[in-house]
Amino acid sequence: MKQYDAIVIGGGHNGLVTAAYLARAGKSVLVLERRPRVGGAAVTEEIFPGFKFTMFSYVVSLLRPEIIRDLDLPRHGLHILPLESTVTPMENGDYFAAWGDHDETRRELYRHSPRDAEAYDEYGRLMHFMAQAVKPILGMVPPDPTSFAPSDLIGLLKLGKHFRGLGTERLHALVKLMTMSSADFLDEWFETDVLKATKSASGIIGTFLGPRSPGTAYVLLHHYMGELDGVFRAWGFAKGGTGAVSESIASAARSFGAEIKCDAGVSKVLVRNGRATGVVLENGDELRAKTVVSSLDPRRTFLQLLETDALPSEFVADIKRFKFRGSSGKVNLALDALPSFTCMPGIGRQHRGAFSISPSLEYVERAYDDAKYGEFSRRPYMDIVFPSMIDPGMAPPGKHVMSIFVQYAPYKLNGGWTDAKREAFGDAVVNTVESFAPGFKSKILHRQVITPLDIERITGLSEGNIFAGELALHQLFFLRPAPGWAKFATPVRGFYQAGSGTHPGGGIMGASGRLAAMRILKDGV
Amino acid sequence: MKYDAIVIGAGANGLVTAHYLARAGKRVLIVEQHQAADPSADIGWVPDAIIRDLGLSGAGLRIETPDPWITAPLPAGGTLELSRDIGRSVEAIRRISPADAAKWPEFCERMRTLASVLERLYLVPPPDIESTDVRELARIAGLGLYVRRRGKQTVIDLARILPMSIAELLDDWFESDVLKGLLGALGIWHLKQGPRSGGTAFNFLHHHAGSAAGVFRPARSNVTQALSTLAGVDIRRGARATVLAKNGKATGVVLDSGETIPAPHVVSSAPPRATLQPLAIELYPDFARAVSNIRARGVVARGTLTLEQAPAYSTFCIAPSLDYLERAYDDIKYGKDSSAPYVEVQRTDGRVEVHVQFVPPGTHDALADRVAQILNVRPNQLVLQPAAESLYHGELTLDQILFMRPVPGWSRYRTPIEGLYLCGSGTHPGGGIPGAAGRNAAREIL
Repeated sequence: MKQYDAIVIGGGHNGLVTAAYLARAGKSVLVLERRPRVGGAAVTEEIFPGFKFTMFSYVVSLLRPEIIRDLDLPRHGLHILPLESTVTPMENGDYFAAWGDHDETRRELYRHSPRDAEAYDEYGRLMHFMAQAVKPILGMVPPDPTSFAPSDLIGLLKLGKHFRGLGTERLHALVKLMTMSSADFLDEWFETDVLKATKSASGIIGTFLGPRSPGTAYVLLHHYMGELDGVFRAWGFAKGGTGAVSESIASAARSFGAEIKCDAGVSKVLVRNGRATGVVLENGDELRAKTVVSSLDPRRTFLQLLETDALPSEFVADIKRFKFRGSSGKVNLALDALPSFTCMPGIGRQHRGAFSISPSLEYVERAYDDAKYGEFSRRPYMDIVFPSMIDPGMAPPGKHVMSIFVQYAPYKLNGGWTDAKREAFGDAVVNTVESFAPGFKSKILHRQVITPLDIERITGLSEGNIFAGELALHQLFFLRPAPGWAKFATPVRGFYQAGSGTHPGGGIMGASGRLAAMRILKDGV
Repeated sequence: MKYDAIVIGAGANGLVTAHYLARAGKRVLIVEQHQAADPSADIGWVPDAIIRDLGLSGAGLRIETPDPWITAPLPAGGTLELSRDIGRSVEAIRRISPADAAKWPEFCERMRTLASVLERLYLVPPPDIESTDVRELARIAGLGLYVRRRGKQTVIDLARILPMSIAELLDDWFESDVLKGLLGALGIWHLKQGPRSGGTAFNFLHHHAGSAAGVFRPARSNVTQALSTLAGVDIRRGARATVLAKNGKATGVVLDSGETIPAPHVVSSAPPRATLQPLAIELYPDFARAVSNIRARGVVARGTLTLEQAPAYSTFCIAPSLDYLERAYDDIKYGKDSSAPYVEVQRTDGRVEVHVQFVPPGTHDALADRVAQILNVRPNQLVLQPAAESLYHGELTLDQILFMRPVPGWSRYRTPIEGLYLCGSGTHPGGGIPGAAGRNAAREIL
């Protein structure tokens, strides 16, 4: 029987990145994907004839530039088109718009508040610096502060030095960003409610927190770190949808010699004498490898693929405690024509950017209140894009696809998710959009509603958490996914973790997959 | 008489600063705006070092140690009473949840260990993480070593628990709503946060500092009263003082009567914003902005309850579940007082004090009626006063503690005005620890 150097479980973007880096280093690598296509939560599927939906993850901003470079992804079909603007319709019929052109955004903001227009530049500079300051940490293996090993002590010292090198103002800003709520943080800068609501909305994505919950300012920064071609804060849309990102990484991995097998779900990792020796597929086949890497989330990786008696009990308790609490849903629509929004009537350049349904802080906070007590938001926060406006190949000529990211939809809904509840959730989404864009409903040709339970069923992400584990302060860095085990190794020798549930986690970033591959290569496969 | 220092405010922190300065031979005047001292009990841990240094035991200091320390009604009737003795609490909890009873001793021990780390941090000025001074770096390394010597679990707990919400922490340990409610209330104590907000686990531990294992309510004492009886400093009551400064240097204070009292050092225990805003701090724009950004939002109404006879309980807590507290918080998020607030009644020195949260500043017509109904008393038995600003002069959130308190970069009790110092709850380590900030400030001034 063939023995691979490495088997990677899960063909999501992180698993593919790990595989590509290992194959690039000359290792024989096999990727096993349960679904018929690679991509995990970054897939594009033709659910309705002629209309391509970016099923789950829909924007690209965090993909690490070194990965794009190392794997030469543009040659493998990666082409990112910029999303140029964000328009927030307000409940009084006005709007707030942030355009690709900085000066235009400033003029728009001036209309709402001259003071905020002044503060906007300074704020932008600070966030830019902060993102720069935190970026090296994303590419670093977290040192373990409980360990006395020299490498950890050196790591901690380096980290300390890095932070002290930031200078007073930025260091304090970093502490604030790590601990404050996005609403409080923005209150220190701005007075325009709709601006704060729209900015703070990016601090709640994927969390089970509201804009007034401490800890959300960090997610705000996490999203600020998006970097495309070295340009900060650029959000983009991949030509062909996010599935094309996965396809390009898969193509790169194959070009380095990796094998990728779809329809090959793994049921167990084989462990002998405390060492991983291979995997068992759902169909019973056994495959051998010197190293096994799981890019699934921590719960599946440790509580499902392994027998828990292979693991220390304290570690199992930590993994069981790791929080998922999926809070987002997705509604994908096939449209006969684009909707016209009351605040900015007609069809125009605004449709090439995003629409953010976040008219006020109170609106977003109330959406969270519903979810806190186990209901989906009656009037949810939504981030809407029209992929077919950016990439016409996504829909038949003249028709459009509309991607609506929705929060909040709790995984643990009161009474549980049923087909009827899913449709009621879809109705709440569509009716809320209708209130900002009358006539929109009549343009819908087909509707796909995805609840957190659906995300879990389809992609395997536990509780439908899009970050494979909440990006909460106590689940980051050396605590992600568990204290003492944040360096991609696991208590089972030869078994590694590489998914978004490890540092730094979240978004189509690939950093976890890359760091895991580095670690595996360093340990020597 | 010429004074070396003038202290504004005769609360616990102002008095402690004044007496530490006086002990070092300084001539000190305290100016206090109120005629009489506030009769309500001082809440919080009085550090042993202060009792010892200032001889407070001989000055009539009484620290209450009620037992049981809390009583909470059970939904099915009867009450849950938790005692200072962990074994007795285990018995009491067993009646509502055997699983929770089994975990109680370990929970108490883990929380005690974490609180002891805070205690150590609180009796010294906050670490200056930007310092290049060898002594300061050695001190920080010493603190780090102290924490690590308490074991690997303590390091992990500190990193995991401090940023957590109290709801997550308690959900990790317990199942009983009543138990989680009465513990969770301490996590939101004087904070404009609900139990699901991050950082409330820190607030819980902050208020556990100085308490015995298994006691999760801050001590109550007459420390301000005891401090007031000490000799060695002059006190002028009934006069409101404003700081005077010239050319970036403090020169003394001016009273509302117009009288000025010169002194080379002025130490204010008043809220930082109130102390600093009359001064020309706009000359220091970053500092001025930081001062205006201090969050000190009033969310508590305090007052008294008049009863025909003293109640049987020492502390009676109405916070039946974490969801109850969270819903109480939801209301104030949108500017309203809680339709079902968290209410706690404490018997102390012949008075019965009431704490109602959440109540925004301002007048509230139906508040007394609502609280009276919850407590099953008549509205005219209650007198409640909503606080205009946080009792702690700055909310105890993670971004406003240690070297970020009162404002980032100015945590060593100094201000950009030479000779002007701060020593109140708005400075490290914050409210709920009467005298700790005052002592740290005095030592820093000396």
